[in-house]
Amino acid sequence: MKTLALFVVVITGAMLIYAGQDLPAFGDINSPAYQAPMTQYFIENALPESGVTNIVTALLANYRGYDTLGETAVIFTAGMAVILLLRRRET
Amino acid sequence: MSGILDIVYAEYNYWIYVTLMMIGFYAMIAKKNLIKKIIGANIFQTAIFLFYISLADVTKGTAPILVGGHGAEHAEHAADVIYTNPVPHCLILTAIVVAVSTTAVALALIIRIYNEYGSIEEDVILAARKELQPEFSEHARQRGVAEVSEQ
Repeated sequence: MKTLALFVVVITGAMLIYAGQDLPAFGDINSPAYQAPMTQYFIENALPESGVTNIVTALLANYRGYDTLGETAVIFTAGMAVILLLRRRET
Repeated sequence: MSGILDIVYAEYNYWIYVTLMMIGFYAMIAKKNLIKKIIGANIFQTAIFLFYISLADVTKGTAPILVGGHGAEHAEHAADVIYTNPVPHCLILTAIVVAVSTTAVALALIIRIYNEYGSIEEDVILAARKELQPEFSEHARQRGVAEVSEQ
């Protein structure tokens, strides 16, 4: 069982490293993710459009506000599930 | 030979995250203890966080907080500052919250399993379940299938 697990893990790791050869190098400024128009737009327009100097905050609370709202729904659901699982039942 | 070393050095962050991810994956598959499985899942998630944060990095880039945004005292340097990519940071901020939520629910489930079966070892739980509810065991299910096919 442990040998089979090790075999699966090694095969998956080798496949991931093989797939990673095409990814941009570490710290590459010409990577597609950094040169994408949206990234440059966020860096240039975060301050005038949202008035926050921290770009991550501007993204999280302004551009992706509905996503953050859904995130609070996730936390609420998880808290609800924990309460329902751990409360004492009257038997 | 040096060509291969250059490739490995340029992408060593991917090797680190693949190694971490496979450690977590192995713990999830091979360990019988449920808490150790949860720890493995957490290591797996952390490897994915590191992968995204390393994708965001830019050489000589600074944190994505605007220089001179609050006033004019540093504004003369503001034009030639390189910022790292803020979008993966934001994605991972969301993913960390989801990871914490799933860990909380999984640990609560493990507490309930421990109260019910008195163990968090997977094989002990399966044996106890076979004893308590024989109709759900693999042997009984196969016997039921055989009886149905005989009729």
